[in-house]
Amino acid sequence: MVLLQPDPFLNELTSMFERSTEKGSVWVTLKRSSMKCKATRKKMETAGETIEYRCLVRATDGKKTISTSLSARDYQKFQASYATVLKAHMNALKKRERKDKKKTAEPEKKQASSKKKSEPFKKPAPPASKASQ
Amino acid sequence: MVYIASWDEFAERSVQLFRADPHSSRYVMKYRHCDGKLVLKVTDNRECLKFKTDQAQDAKKMEKLTNIFFTLMVRGPDADISEASGKEQVEQVASKKGRGRRQ
Repeated sequence: MVLLQPDPFLNELTSMFERSTEKGSVWVTLKRSSMKCKATRKKMETAGETIEYRCLVRATDGKKTISTSLSARDYQKFQASYATVLKAHMNALKKRERKDKKKTAEPEKKQASSKKKSEPFKKPAPPASKASQ
Repeated sequence: MVYIASWDEFAERSVQLFRADPHSSRYVMKYRHCDGKLVLKVTDNRECLKFKTDQAQDAKKMEKLTNIFFTLMVRGPDADISEASGKEQVEQVASKKGRGRRQ
C-alpha cells in the first residue's frame, strides 16, 4: 500500500484508468479515518484531546494499491481534480439512448400522422368535383 | 448484497448508514471501462447497499454523492452537506417566485 500526497495520487489514478481501458477494473474507496491506531485513539479520547479525522482515499487496479489522506483544508481542491479525472476517463458508459430513440421516433410519428390526415382530405375532394360536374 | 434500483433511495440510505456509524462505514466505487459498468457500494461491515449502472447520466449523480461523502468524512457526520444547501437554495428561489406573483 503506497501512501502518496494528493497530487501524485491523482497522477497515479489517471495512469491506472488509462491502463485499465481494455481489461480490468479500477476501485476507489473513501473512508473516514484518524490515521492513528486504536491504542493511540483511546489514549487521546481519555486525555480529552480532539481527534482530527481525515478522509482516506484508496485506489487499486487489482494489482497495485495507492492511497492518500485528505484533511479539511485540502479536500475541496482534491474533490475538484478528482471529479475532472473521473469525467475524463469514465466515457464508456451509455449515453441517454432512450431519449435519442424518442427524438427519432417522434418525427417519424409526426410524418406518419400528417400523411394519414392528408389522405382523407384528398378523398372527399374528387367525389365533390364529380358531383358538381 | 442489496442492489437498489432507485438512485435517490440509494443516496439517502447510504448517507443515513454513514451517519449512523461514520467510523466503520466506507464508500466504494468500481469502474470497468471494458464493460462500461459502474458499481457503487456503501457498507458499515454489517449492512451493505449497492447500486450498479451503465448510464452516463448516473456518473454525474455519482459525482455529487462523492462530494457529499467527502464533506461528511472530512468535516464530520453532522456537517451540512451540499445537498442541504442545494435544497435551501431551491426553497429560496421558490419563495422569491412566490413574492413576485403576489406583487
